[in-house]
Amino acid sequence: MTAKTPEGKKIDTQTRHYHPQATNEKSSKQLYGAEVKVANIRDTSIQPYQTKTESIEFVLPKGVRSADITVDLSYYLASPDQRYEVHKITRRVSLDR
Amino acid sequence: MQLFKVLSIILFIMCPLQAFAQKAQTIDELAAMFDSSRCADCHDVIYAQWEKSQHARPMMGTPGIMNMTKMATPGATPFSPADPKQATLKTYPCFKCHLPQALTHAEDSVAVEITEAIIAQDTAKIAKLQITCIVCHNQKAIIHRLEEGKPDPAALYGVNAIDDHEDEVFEQVKKSAVMQRSLMCGQCHGPGPNLELEKPVQCANLYGSYLHAYIPAGGSQTCQECHMKPIDGLADHLIAPNWNDIPHTTKLLQEALSLDVQTLGFEWLEKAKTYVPKVIVNTKVASTAGHRIPDG
Repeated sequence: MTAKTPEGKKIDTQTRHYHPQATNEKSSKQLYGAEVKVANIRDTSIQPYQTKTESIEFVLPKGVRSADITVDLSYYLASPDQRYEVHKITRRVSLDR
Repeated sequence: MQLFKVLSIILFIMCPLQAFAQKAQTIDELAAMFDSSRCADCHDVIYAQWEKSQHARPMMGTPGIMNMTKMATPGATPFSPADPKQATLKTYPCFKCHLPQALTHAEDSVAVEITEAIIAQDTAKIAKLQITCIVCHNQKAIIHRLEEGKPDPAALYGVNAIDDHEDEVFEQVKKSAVMQRSLMCGQCHGPGPNLELEKPVQCANLYGSYLHAYIPAGGSQTCQECHMKPIDGLADHLIAPNWNDIPHTTKLLQEALSLDVQTLGFEWLEKAKTYVPKVIVNTKVASTAGHRIPDG
């Protein structure tokens, strides 16, 4: 999720990761790869018939009264290069009425 | 001697039934034993779907990756042999699902050849090893083996029985009790860690998630109902996702996951006379999939 000024200058980026996290249970390091991991120790993945809810705040810089917010939900297969963009929504949000 | 060798290979390829009786010693022998290309003669649409599927390239992994490379690389994992010549079928616990026919129908020499081919990144050779029609419709088609026995080497198993199946080896099709059930897929898209191994590994959790998250949440569809939806009356043997097909996979993910975004701009009163301009973004991601996302 990225917030930018109307001129395109980045204000901030926030990220959430939804996936099981596993170790070999011999150390506390997360491991990736079927041949090394043995147990999920945390699972933030998206569960069937459940909803992941987030409420994220962006503080606008001084003098900035509106921002373009882009929410990008992507699926990463094995590396950041293997990305499937599932949804991408952009909104302009203004403080002025 | 050379002629004998050639004749042996031809006979081996022509007579896979007899080949089931003895174990394969090479990749080519194992590939020939489970070769399903003749299925395309009558089932061309299904075969074409399968050819694009992940099942047709179980050793090749996701795009750009030859999986099991680490297993073949000396010192990379506890399974990896110091020398490729020392590889055995036990070097590859992944075969349980990625090449189950090797565990039942191959000698350790096949593991040596696979190791050498992976180290050489010989994709053409490794690509010969597939989860073919015969693997699912014969080898993996019976799960209740104490009651039903092992798969009949002269039969395939499907949704319906066919007494007269036009094939020189598999002369009939028997009705499988599990072919349309999630349990069939669960054999490989598994319940979780493989603790029966001396060095446990964890690959797919998918069936575990189906059993322990989807079913308790009230889900009632099978894997096949979502991933093998009939096309013109025939189950889609692409068994999506095909990770190489980015548009199709993206569409599948869009159908399973919804995203709702609500925004609010306001000036928060942090303390007296101090306003902080903020944008609040509330998101909801909901899933109708029969398992956690991501999983495998």
